[in-house]
Formats: sequence, C-alpha cells, structure tokens
Amino acid sequence: MVDFSLTRRDEELVALAERENKIALKHARAADVHSIDGALPFALPHPDVAGLQDPFEALANDHEGTSSEVIAEALMMISSAADADLRDRDHAFGSLVLEEFGTDEQKAKYGHLKLAIGLTEPGAGSDPSMIRSNSRYDAETGDYVLNGEKTFISFFNIYDGAVTLVRGEPDEKGNRPFHTFVVLRGQEGVGKVPSIRKMGMRQHDLAGFSMQDVRVPEIAKLSADFAKTFSKFNHNRPLVAAVALGTCRSMLDFTRERLEARGISIDYAKGAAGRSAAEDRLIRMEALWEAAWGVTMYAKWKQTQVGTPSYDYRTEASISKAIAGKAARTITQTCLDILGPEALSEHYLAEKWFRDVRIADIYEGAGEIQRVLVAREMLGYKRELN
Amino acid sequence: MISFELTEEQEIIRSTMREISRDALSPEARRHDLDGAIGTAVLDTIWQAGIVQAQADRESRSPVSNVLVLEELAAGDASVALAVGAASGFVQAVTDQGSEAQRAVFLASLEGDRFAAGTIAAMEPDFVGDVTRPATRVLRSEDGFTLSGRKTMVPLAAQSTHFLVIADLDGASDAFIVDASATGVTIEARQALGLRGLGLGEVNFDGVVLPTDARLGEGNGADVQRIIDGARVGLAAAMLGLSRAVMEHIIPYTKERVVHGSPLAQKQKIAFDIADMRMETDAIRWMTWKAAWALETGLDATRLAQLAYTYAGERVMQIADNGLQSMGGHGFVEEHPMEMWYRNARSLSMLESVAGV
Repeated sequence: MVDFSLTRRDEELVALAERENKIALKHARAADVHSIDGALPFALPHPDVAGLQDPFEALANDHEGTSSEVIAEALMMISSAADADLRDRDHAFGSLVLEEFGTDEQKAKYGHLKLAIGLTEPGAGSDPSMIRSNSRYDAETGDYVLNGEKTFISFFNIYDGAVTLVRGEPDEKGNRPFHTFVVLRGQEGVGKVPSIRKMGMRQHDLAGFSMQDVRVPEIAKLSADFAKTFSKFNHNRPLVAAVALGTCRSMLDFTRERLEARGISIDYAKGAAGRSAAEDRLIRMEALWEAAWGVTMYAKWKQTQVGTPSYDYRTEASISKAIAGKAARTITQTCLDILGPEALSEHYLAEKWFRDVRIADIYEGAGEIQRVLVAREMLGYKRELN
Repeated sequence: MISFELTEEQEIIRSTMREISRDALSPEARRHDLDGAIGTAVLDTIWQAGIVQAQADRESRSPVSNVLVLEELAAGDASVALAVGAASGFVQAVTDQGSEAQRAVFLASLEGDRFAAGTIAAMEPDFVGDVTRPATRVLRSEDGFTLSGRKTMVPLAAQSTHFLVIADLDGASDAFIVDASATGVTIEARQALGLRGLGLGEVNFDGVVLPTDARLGEGNGADVQRIIDGARVGLAAAMLGLSRAVMEHIIPYTKERVVHGSPLAQKQKIAFDIADMRMETDAIRWMTWKAAWALETGLDATRLAQLAYTYAGERVMQIADNGLQSMGGHGFVEEHPMEMWYRNARSLSMLESVAGV
C-alpha cells in the first residue's frame, strides 16, 4: 500500500537529527570562516553535543521499526542539513572499500586507519578512463611503484591515507587495467598538497597528493576493481541528494519566515493568477523540493526492495541525484533573489547555503553524468552515448 | 511507513487501464481531436469499465487508484482521461459532501449502461481569473437561491446532465447542483486550443432559480477547496500520463532518425532531454501519489495538491516542447500526435477543478 507517513522510529530519529542541526546552526558561521584553510574551528566532538545521543549512531544501533534503515538514513540527512559537523563522523570512503574488498590480512594491516578515496586527477574528473596515475610491478623487490597525481580528495590531509585507483601495466592487447592500492600519508614519495580553498562546504576538507616512485608492498594492492569501487555510488547518490535537500529546506524555511515577517504569507489554495510574484516563486521552489524528495525516497525504497549490492536501483539513484542537484542550484539562487539584497549579507546563513550547496550537482557524478547514465538505460546504449 | 508498493488490486487496475488506453484510446485520439468529440463507443467502453460509478462508494474508492487510472488514460488520450476525471469529480463531490437526499438522487443516475455524467463548472471567462474567487454569484431568495454568472472550459458541456457550479454565496465559495435543462441555463460549445475531444463549452446561468436542496451538502454548504484539491491531483495525474506518452513516442523516433551520421538519440542534447523526461515523469508521479495519499488518508492535502499540480504543469509543457523540438518538422504536422500533445499540454496545465480523484 502506498504510504508516505513516517513510522514512530523514523520520527524519533528525525527529531534527533533536527535537534543536532539546531545546535549546528549556531556554529555554522564559525565553521565557514575558520575552515577556509582546512582547519577545524573547534575540537570534535563539539562540547555542545557531548552527552547527547549521536543521531546516526542511534540509527545504527536500532533501526527496528523504521521505514527501512536506508530510508531513515536519508530522512535524517534531509533533517540534519550540513552546516557544521559537530562530531567526528566516519566519512572514510576508502576504509569502506577496504572493509568490503580487503583480505583478512589487509584488514589487519590497514583496518585501524582512516582512508580517503583517491579517484579524481587534475585531468580526470567525471571520466575515470582519463586516469593517468600508474603502477609498475618491481619483480626484484616484490613492490609496486606508483606515480601520478590525485586531486579533490576529501579529508586526505586529516586522514591516514587513501585507497587510490591507478592504471596497471599494459596487457598483451595494450589495455591498462585499473588497480587499487592503499597509500599512506607521509610515506616516501607521497607529496603533500595544501587543502584546497573553495567557495562553500569549507568545513569539508579537500586536498590532493602526488605520487613519485611511491613503493608499496604487495599487501597494499586490494582486489577492489573499478566496477566494484564504483558500486558504492548507488547507495551514496540519493544521500548526496538528501544532504542537498537539507540545506534547501533551511533556505526555504528562512525565505518563508522572512516573507511572513513582512506580511507575505503563502496560500497554497489560491490559483496561480491570484498569487503575488514572491508567493508564486516560493511555491514553485517548494514544488521543486517536493519533486526531489519524492525521487530520493523512491530510490531508497527501491534500494530496500532489491538490496544494497544490487545494480537494480542505479537509475533511480542517478535520477535522485540529478533532480536534487539541479533543485539545489535553482532553489538557493531563487530564494536569494526573492528576498532581495539584504539576503546577501553575512549576517544570515542564506548566502552560505547558496555557496555550500552548489557542489551538489557536481560531486559524486555531475548532473550531466547522471543524465548519461539515465539516458543509456532508457535508450539501450552503452558507449554510443557519451 | 514509507512505501511505494501498490496493492494487488491497484496493479490490476493499472494494467487493465494501460491495455484499454493502448488498444482503444491511442488509436482514436487524433479522431477525437479532429471531430471535437469523444466517440460514443469509447465513452461507453469507459463507462462499462465502472470507473466513474466506483466513485460513489465512499468506503472503497481510492484517490491513489484514481491517479493510476488517470495517468494510464491520459497516456492514450488526455481528453478521455479528463472526461472520466470530470464525471468522477462530480460523483465524488456528491458522494463526499452531498446530503443523503442528494446522494440518493444523483447516484441513481449512474445505474445505466451509457455514459451519463455531471461535471464541475468552476472556471470563468475572465483573464487572470482565480478559481478560488468566483464572480458567479448565488443570492438567497425566499424559497431557495438565484444563480447568475458564466462558466467556461466546462468539460462535456453539451452532454452533461448536471453541473456542479462553484459560486460565491455570502462572500465565500460554495457549490450548487444545477440541472442542465433548467430555465436560464444556456450552453455554448467553444472549442479551445487543446483537449478538443473533451467538448469544452461555456455555460451561462441567467438568474437560474434553484431550490434549497441544490446547495451541495444542503444547510452546511460545501468544502470547495476539497474539490479543487482533488482536481489538482487529478490534473497532475493526467499531465503525468501525457508526459509519458511524449517520452515513449520520442525514444524510438530519435533512435531511428539519423542526422549528420548518427541517430538523434546519440546526441547529448537530445539524450539529456530524454533523460529529463524520465526524471520528471518519475518526480511528478511520486508527488501525485503523495498528494493522493494525503487525500485518501484524510490529511490536509491542499499544499501537496498545489505543489504536484504546479510542478506537473511546468514539466509537462517542457516535456511536450522538447519532444516536439526533437522531431523537427514532424513535430509540427498532424501526421504525428506530437503537435496535439503540445496543445494538450498547455491546456491541461492551465485548467482547474475539472478532474477529481
């Protein structure tokens, strides 16, 4: 039966996320200003959340009675926004890959480390076939020798290292396979790059590294191949959508409150011709938000039906990411425009939300990439469409 | 608990409607457009499927099932979807809000095996009009009411047995059941840009004398917003069906059509438009389901209905526009259904209160 109500457990978890978001909003400006150079403005966990139950830990400990664990997670992300991380959350994507594809021996060696994921290169963003970092096997020592450069690597400068994707040596046909290695920060030949300054999401550390004749032992080579490494994206894409929706929710609420304070209330009953321009535009932005909410929930519901490792929800995951990414751009741009020049002031968080959420249509596969994936599925194309 | 799972019955409804739509509606859609009327045989087929009659059962009728029906019918012919939606909207309003006597009288007319319908007359022939502020007025008289005003874009205007007229009474919107043959009622066919099969017309009410029991719900009056909300969801469902028709038509066309050495569908601009069609139809569908779910569970559906209707209206126009563009000249000529869909998209997205769920 079609149902859009939250279970009691869903609501409890959402309430925990909302409580934390309220606290985070107080620290949002500090996190934005102080993190420009990659430095965190406060130690984690922040004292304001000490003693409070961690919402996502609460979900992990007890998801009985939720709509499903992955649906609840998305609902919570929509409610928690992304204004300031007050806890030391585990975003270590590389560690997840190790956990999933590593041998027991590899997990024993690297399992205690926090590993980023090293995919992007200066010349290879959305198109991994452009990856030029490479590995060479040294038969004399049994080591692999890595060379290349990685950029836009989340948390590399605060983690212990990265799981990185490079090209292997050419086979008899001249094809260079993808290999995955654990590379550690501070290791000889691993060059450090300063954290990257960016327009928004400043609390999210972003860096890169170079590899110059980096020697890694055979144990550092994971059996996570290219496709396997990317399979995680299907779970993540609707979550990226959910994070964007959280920020957009803050923006829409702010806009509505400010309009109401000026005597402009939103009447959903009236027809389009009966509305003021501000009212009409806000309703259209609310509609866009609801559209993105629907496709995000559907992707997560489908994931629940077919199981996380399945590929059968990848199109829905792409749809959710693409609609939310575009919605994030449109909603934040339009809300500032509705409110007028005062909304530009750093006295409010609106301008920060506008900067922060722009990345939503780029990272984890740009909107264009999602559309290629959706269109290929619809048209029965593979490489013919690129 | 969040779920997108249809009941077994809803799956059957959906596949049955899909079949009727494909076999009986799609092939006739152009003829309906040219004739300016839906064929009697088609209307009777729909009538015999029992969709409209099912709306008279307050316990079992389901807005979620109704949006499935309207999506499927509109994928075949939006005019037929709205004919069903309009007749259903009348029956739903009487069922939900009518007095016992009103229900007895008007629901009895559903028993025949020929299409016999009342429709809702809500819109008015005025630019920049708003359905929530009708200029049509009802004044109290000694033994009832007097109705004066003009309604436009009334579906099946010439075939309707009754009109549920949205009019102002004492400064608030209310609804009145008016016999199409009452003195002072004149009906004028007025063809429009799209939905030509629907037989849209203008209805003039010139001092029509109404008995007390013409007021929907009698003494209590009617909740007009509930009718508007249901219709917005119904219209969103019809826009969804039309969007899907465009998408399903454009896929084989652009794969076959070779331009400058490769199929149109392999060009990113076209492929991305097609991806957008899929993304947006999905989004409209879940918004429509959510609003229908709110109606079904008795929650306040006004906001969700407005958002689904607004979003569907924006997107169906964009989808039809891009669909037409990708067919080039073929999109402009009557040999293909695209130009009709383009006209229908603009029409559907501007109507109000004509397709209840």
